[in-house]
Amino acid sequence: MLIDKILVSIFQRAFKSITDEMSISLTKTTRSPILCEAKDFVTGLYDAKGQMLEQTENLPILSFSLGPVCKVIIDQYGNDIHEGDVIIHNDVFSMGNQNNDVAIFKPIFYENTLVGWSAAKGHQADIGGAVQGGYNPNATEVWQEAIRIPAVKLYDNGKLRKDVWNLIFANIRLQMVQEDIKAQIGACTLGQRRLQTFVSKYGLDVFEMHKLALFDSTEKMMRSEIKNIPNGIYTGESMVYYDGKHKGSKFPVRAEIMVNNEEIIFDFSKSSSQTKGFVNGTYTSSCSAITLTFLQMVNPNIPHNEGMIKPLKYIVPEGTILNASYPAATTFGNHLCPQIADAIFKALGPAIPEKVTAGWNHLLCSLFTGNHPRTGKKYVDICFLGMKGGSGAMKGHDGYDHIGMIDASGGVLDQDYEMYEQQTPYTILQHEYLCDSGGAGQWRGGMGTITQIILKGHDTTMVVFGDGDVEPNYGLFGGKGSVLNKIELSFPNGEKYIPMSKDMIHGIPDNTLYYQIAGGGGGYGNPKKRDKEKVLQDLKNELVSKESAEKIYGLKKIKV
Amino acid sequence: MKFNVGIDIGGTFTDLICVSSEGKTIVHKTLSTPHDSSEGFINGIREISEMVGESFENFVSSIDTIVHGTTVATNSLLTLKGAKTALITTKGFRDALEMRRGIREEQYNNRYKNVTPLAPRYLRFTVDERIDSEGEVVKKFNEKELLPIIQKIKDEKVESVAICFMNSYKNSSHEKRAVNFLRKKLPGIFVTASFEVLPSIRFYERVSTTTVSAFVGPIVVKYLDNLTQKLETINFKGTLLIMQSNGGVVVPEQVKKNPAVTVLSGPAAAPTAGAFYSKMFGYKNCITVDMGGTSFDAAIVIDNQCVTSTEGKINRYRIALPSLDIITIGAGGGSIGWINNGGLLQMGPQSAGALPGPVCYDSGGAIPACTDADLILGYLNPDFFAGGKLKLNKAKAEKAINDELALKLGLSVLETAAGMFRIINNNMAQGVREISVERGYDPREFLFIVAGGAGSIHSSEICKELEIPMFLVPNVSSIFCAAGMLLGDLKHDFIRSYFTSFNNLDREKFLLFFNEMKEDGIKALVDEEGVLREQISFYPILDIRYIGQYHEVPLEASWDDVMNYNLSTIFELFHNEHNRQYGYSLKEEGTEMELINLRLRVVGKTEKPNFLSANIKSIPAELAIKEHRQVFVPELNSMKKVAVYDGDKPIFGSIIKGPCVIEKITTSVFVSEIYDCVVDDFGSFIVYEKAKFPEGFLLGKKIDEAYAY
Repeated sequence: MLIDKILVSIFQRAFKSITDEMSISLTKTTRSPILCEAKDFVTGLYDAKGQMLEQTENLPILSFSLGPVCKVIIDQYGNDIHEGDVIIHNDVFSMGNQNNDVAIFKPIFYENTLVGWSAAKGHQADIGGAVQGGYNPNATEVWQEAIRIPAVKLYDNGKLRKDVWNLIFANIRLQMVQEDIKAQIGACTLGQRRLQTFVSKYGLDVFEMHKLALFDSTEKMMRSEIKNIPNGIYTGESMVYYDGKHKGSKFPVRAEIMVNNEEIIFDFSKSSSQTKGFVNGTYTSSCSAITLTFLQMVNPNIPHNEGMIKPLKYIVPEGTILNASYPAATTFGNHLCPQIADAIFKALGPAIPEKVTAGWNHLLCSLFTGNHPRTGKKYVDICFLGMKGGSGAMKGHDGYDHIGMIDASGGVLDQDYEMYEQQTPYTILQHEYLCDSGGAGQWRGGMGTITQIILKGHDTTMVVFGDGDVEPNYGLFGGKGSVLNKIELSFPNGEKYIPMSKDMIHGIPDNTLYYQIAGGGGGYGNPKKRDKEKVLQDLKNELVSKESAEKIYGLKKIKV
Repeated sequence: MKFNVGIDIGGTFTDLICVSSEGKTIVHKTLSTPHDSSEGFINGIREISEMVGESFENFVSSIDTIVHGTTVATNSLLTLKGAKTALITTKGFRDALEMRRGIREEQYNNRYKNVTPLAPRYLRFTVDERIDSEGEVVKKFNEKELLPIIQKIKDEKVESVAICFMNSYKNSSHEKRAVNFLRKKLPGIFVTASFEVLPSIRFYERVSTTTVSAFVGPIVVKYLDNLTQKLETINFKGTLLIMQSNGGVVVPEQVKKNPAVTVLSGPAAAPTAGAFYSKMFGYKNCITVDMGGTSFDAAIVIDNQCVTSTEGKINRYRIALPSLDIITIGAGGGSIGWINNGGLLQMGPQSAGALPGPVCYDSGGAIPACTDADLILGYLNPDFFAGGKLKLNKAKAEKAINDELALKLGLSVLETAAGMFRIINNNMAQGVREISVERGYDPREFLFIVAGGAGSIHSSEICKELEIPMFLVPNVSSIFCAAGMLLGDLKHDFIRSYFTSFNNLDREKFLLFFNEMKEDGIKALVDEEGVLREQISFYPILDIRYIGQYHEVPLEASWDDVMNYNLSTIFELFHNEHNRQYGYSLKEEGTEMELINLRLRVVGKTEKPNFLSANIKSIPAELAIKEHRQVFVPELNSMKKVAVYDGDKPIFGSIIKGPCVIEKITTSVFVSEIYDCVVDDFGSFIVYEKAKFPEGFLLGKKIDEAYAY
């Protein structure tokens, strides 16, 4: 059969439109703010072999999280896959990426032939385990974190397996999670219907051939990007600080990247062995982090399908901090993304200096629970607005201000201040760019922020998780690093407390001042070479102080 | 005889429609005058007077109403040519405007820039005042704090000032004092405050919308002053009305108070016209599409009402005022074809624009565009584009497609042009899917109305892709927006934030808010726009959600239900609406609901022009055949000689078999193999799937009457 090149273009657009539509449906029908506000979910279409047709990952950290699971399911069920099946999965020891990220898969049939899968995976508000929400800094084993769900059918031949459903949800605290899983099944049904219609329109042969042609074309795009990187072996290293158990502990993450013509291998074998706490990655979360970092260095318009990831090879051995062995605790794994990204950017910097960025701000985040004095109800809040720092600068471009962790790359939004003051009992005093927080450089790092909030209500609990409070973000090629992350509580009695980067504080009293600095991104190139107009502009806008403008950027005698 | 005139000023052409009190319609296009668009405005009126056969003075004096859609605010936002704007806000919140809640729309693109803030940081000032979440003053406002700010505003030659304080939706006293003080101290400078623009909860939406209003304000005010002055000098005594983004019209004085209401002034008219046309054809629901030079707009009409949304953005600037829900994608006659480095052909979103335009315009364009493909495929007549005003160069278009695309794809010029046609149609179909399917509507149940000069060549294929059985190309298709302007009512939107659970709802307060908004509406309509009290109606909307949800549902209720405090009816409506939009409700669970905002739309009915059917004898379609020419027929995947009809001839009632082309001076319609077409006695083309006429269609009586000829 001859390939109709035009039809290949149309296939790509159609697949994208289907996964986007699944994604919109999920945004509108889910209830947990982690899903409908922060959009911590991914929707995708796969072919019968589990090869990605298209994917809409709202957060880049989910870029690699569905495909490997699809292949696990296909291996596990073999011929026992039927129209109307719904399969659920979260198990991190069979290609799950994070315990809370629960996937739903639906097989898609055309005239009794399996032609593909629709899938949706979202971060659930609770997943059982010892602590509500899943972030348990004291965990040392998976069962203290979550219920494990290896691939299991929720529906068999269209029939709900009520016993299985009940078993799973008997182990999860919030009713909301059941509703959100139903929403995920709904999104998969949508994808299933649309792909079925699509295949029946063109016929199976045309579908198969043109799908492969699309993979080939995309692979060609990716290979041409890799070809632009000089052949060689490049190494980079970064550091993870504190496992939540041992003060002062640190764990190196080491990337060895081999570029050979049109192929690239990311080898993290030399990274630290796994920790005893929950600061461990899973194979899938680490491969996602690698993928999303690499995607930031190539043409952003490459379609997301199997062809895109084919030329990328991952070596992340079991037993390392990036792929912990059974039955380790791993909830923190997604937040090793900044370190993985750092190691990759540092490694490839000398090879493709025009494509890497300096260091991004690492996540340091607070999660509050308490009782709202006005409504008398319990509230849960992740302080998104306080945690978002700047991205690293790159050649020719300043970093992005207040974008937040690279795992999300600007996909998680701040709460609106006035809505925030309605839904929590808090009063926001300040949320602004922090002067001089963008790492100095010929191109400046993105701005970090300063946040001050008065915590009202009695007996508030705060869980802190993250990093970036020990080592500043790095600058590149003469650029400077940024300021450290910091959280500080000032109690009404005048005492202060600076939490560890993995910490849990109970009984916070009414009228405690919460102070947070989210650092900026690293700078790129020698700050003395920065365009003087830009320095003056930054000075005028009070993003850079007079002192820095003179001392670091080398401006002479400024009249203000 | 009296006249109503609708005027839509676009980038290249200024479109006019003039309807007489007897129902006679004149459609006209004149060149826009970008240096001062009011010039094109007056030129157009002058040219119409000639077409009517009246002296200019007589014609002007017999114009009742001029309705005008302006792109002044839109363009100012698109090109960032607005006023030098300062923002004054609460201490601690200097950067909310620029942060945009920390979003980066292109997550993998490290070269992607944040938008340029409409008020730069050095012109964003803060004052140490604070109102808490309950509306209590916790830090008093002191005018003295404004004095150094005023000095800076003067030093920096700021032209416009926006004020937005925390929680002012609960208590606007500080903002009011600030705005009064500044207006007194800064005469000649545009000053606006958020309580005047959008008094509702959500600081980011409010500060963004208020700053947009300040940014476009001075330019819009200057434009309107200039226009009203010009109209005075030609002795115009009628009423000038301005189209708003919400599809309603208002007098210029109202626009000057909140210029941000005009940011979607132009495109809002298409669904407004769509609502009118679909009603005429016995349909309640329709989709309107408008394909121009650079973009493709799609909107829906439900129950003869345009759908509004408060989710609007222009050029990534957030405007939370109620606007018609319109999807815009980068697909137009100027959309360029290119090959990505995976070797696949792509169309747009970049556009060749009006200048240099597609290659065939022969104005120096070198990159093949959609119009070039349309020409090669035979849909356009090189000697009859815009009635022959612009000669198209086919040889150049062929060469460009060959050199830039076909050689690289290993395809012939014709195959490549057909591919360009197919891909752009597919892109537009996805846009229609977005406005319909993704909002929970099945496009096959909608009347599909095609506007814009380029749209009717592509609509056969768009409809085929979406399985839409019928589409309508109105006789005024090419100036559809101008026509829509004559069909808008006077509309004023008001909002009061009242964030509370229904258990704690205070009846008195609830009614007070609605009555306040009602009085504001009556004041605007009766006192300022001269509407009779009995022509005014009220449409309340309540923003409600289940407790614990983040996204609220705007719920339309009746004025009686609101005034009678029929909460149970309102709850029932909410459960139903939630179920319709999201596929479930929590009625059974008894989940509590909360209120976010109360809105009121106050509408003053305007007189609608009387479009008259063509009361002349029709000729059989065969007599209107101009020629037979080679045209690409997608179903055959090849060129075929088909009939070309003169669409300006009276061929009402005849069935025209597809495939064929119907040419009018202002537009061309391509009817593909699976469709036939019938012309109604308004001169509109109804294109329908061959097998499906007449049964199963609601073409309305007009068609039956037309058959009487």
